[in-house]
Amino acid sequence: MSDTPSPAAASGLFRRTLIRVLAVQVATLLLLWLLQTHYTR
Amino acid sequence: MRALDWVIIAVYLVYVLVDGVRRAKGTREIEGYFLANRSLPWWAVGLSVMATQLSAITLIGTTGQGATDGMRFVQFYFGLPLAMVLLGVTLVPFLHGAKVFTAYEYLERRFDARTRSLTSLLFLVARGMSCGTIIAAPAVVFSAIFGWNLVWSVALIGIPTVTYTMIGGVQAVTWVDVKQMGLIVFALIAVVVTLLMQLPVAPGHALALAGAAGRLRAFDFSFDVTNDFTFWSGLIGGTFLMLSYFGTDQSQVQRYITAKSVGQARSSLLISAYWKIPLQALVLLTGVLVSVFFVFQEPPLLFNPVEEQAVRATQPAMYGDLDARYRMALQARETAAHAVAVARERGDGNASVASLEAFKARQADVGTLREEALGLARRVTGTTARDVNFVIPYYVLHFLPVGLAGIFVAAVLAAAMSASAGELNSLATVTVIDFYRRWVRPEAPAAHYLLMSKVATGCWGLFACGVATFAATLGSLIVVVNRFGSFFYGSILGVFLLAMIPRARATGAFLGLIAGMVTVGAVNFGAPAVSWLWHNVIGAVTVVAVGLVLSALKTNAERESRNAEQP
Repeated sequence: MSDTPSPAAASGLFRRTLIRVLAVQVATLLLLWLLQTHYTR
Repeated sequence: MRALDWVIIAVYLVYVLVDGVRRAKGTREIEGYFLANRSLPWWAVGLSVMATQLSAITLIGTTGQGATDGMRFVQFYFGLPLAMVLLGVTLVPFLHGAKVFTAYEYLERRFDARTRSLTSLLFLVARGMSCGTIIAAPAVVFSAIFGWNLVWSVALIGIPTVTYTMIGGVQAVTWVDVKQMGLIVFALIAVVVTLLMQLPVAPGHALALAGAAGRLRAFDFSFDVTNDFTFWSGLIGGTFLMLSYFGTDQSQVQRYITAKSVGQARSSLLISAYWKIPLQALVLLTGVLVSVFFVFQEPPLLFNPVEEQAVRATQPAMYGDLDARYRMALQARETAAHAVAVARERGDGNASVASLEAFKARQADVGTLREEALGLARRVTGTTARDVNFVIPYYVLHFLPVGLAGIFVAAVLAAAMSASAGELNSLATVTVIDFYRRWVRPEAPAAHYLLMSKVATGCWGLFACGVATFAATLGSLIVVVNRFGSFFYGSILGVFLLAMIPRARATGAFLGLIAGMVTVGAVNFGAPAVSWLWHNVIGAVTVVAVGLVLSALKTNAERESRNAEQP
């Protein structure tokens, strides 16, 4: 069985992974943004 | 540093050496030596990818940047998560599925031998130099703070690293990386916890002081191409740089093609996608907290002890006067900082704002005097070196509790060793696979190639140690390392992008690669103000554009030639 996914499966995998990764990054950046806006005048 | 600290460092060095060397068992040919027979689990590969990228420069230089410049360097990594996900669905299946030893080997299958040889040569030049600077960073600091000869400092890092990499191959590199990564993260968290306990004010007040000093400014949305670190240069330039670094740089590619499958290779990269920005934020925050710590604990005027001694010896009166003014400014700043804490404790909004303004003014006074001292040091020593790389070592040696100082120094060694081991292994792979086996001896017994691989690793180790002794006078080392790469990275990425476009031709790829590097060179020398992060974008776009145009011209010429030959 091939390990390389079909284009449709790859597209779905990309979308799901991208959303999960971006969710973690958004949370991190939001924290940094809150630190900046709350403590930097 | 006490005896216990030295014992910890010695135990660490012996353990790493023994652990690395014992991985040599079962390595009889280059498939095992360079690729671990594609048998490694995703989490080990993922940690190895992170460890290879996280060098001593990160622990010394980036924390130093956090202390002196704040959080804004975190923007450099904003493109990384997107790049990892893109690579997971594009280049990773390509390279893992192609069953190649090196990324450049694939380019010969797709284009021709000259494109493969040029890209692998560029890798050897850029990565060989950067491997030297990776060893130089901690060696320079160790030689300055412990008074060691620089050559001995380089040898302390270089000899064990070269030994276990040469004997154990990629198995040793990966499994030692896993443990080194654990040590580095543990040391960072321990330092942050210690700092929070050592601060005489509550964490909220400490952050208010850091914010007032401008250290918590993590975002700069200005579209200024001359500014090294902005949101846009990090997101756009950073994405191109990370795509190139993780997708086409053999030191990274070799980590994930050792994974058991494409899925495992992809998962290994996702560890970086999830954790790189939080980890870098932690590294910078460590530096920020150290800067707040030095508000309450008098720091030296110059952190680099060698520069301080040189200035003290040659300009005693001027330095004495500066130092006296600096001490007074520090006391005024500390008083202002306590006033901020008191006002915030009371919950008095107006007093809090006024005290923060007063603290900012005192902070500016301290900054001005530091700049004056650094200017004096530059004039006296004749170097452009900044003392950003000495801030954290000064804190570690003078203020960390016994035991923890040894752990942190061991973590710095671990970071230097893990990054340089991965690079040495990949440099040897490219030398043997892309040059020796390709051009010198295409047919030879497996034992011969294995021997040559070990010899190549040893030679690159010697070269890197040699470069390390010359890189000592370079400025902020983190920028130096990335500058080396940015001259080539974008253009190499452009060639790999062309490889994925069916109508791209070999001549277009080769000439496009040269055009990309010439353009980056022209921008670098013609418009030096343009930040080096943008060089990656410029290089990649030029290679793809020129490559596609030349490929189209070549295709048309061939079609016309065929038409002319037909009766």
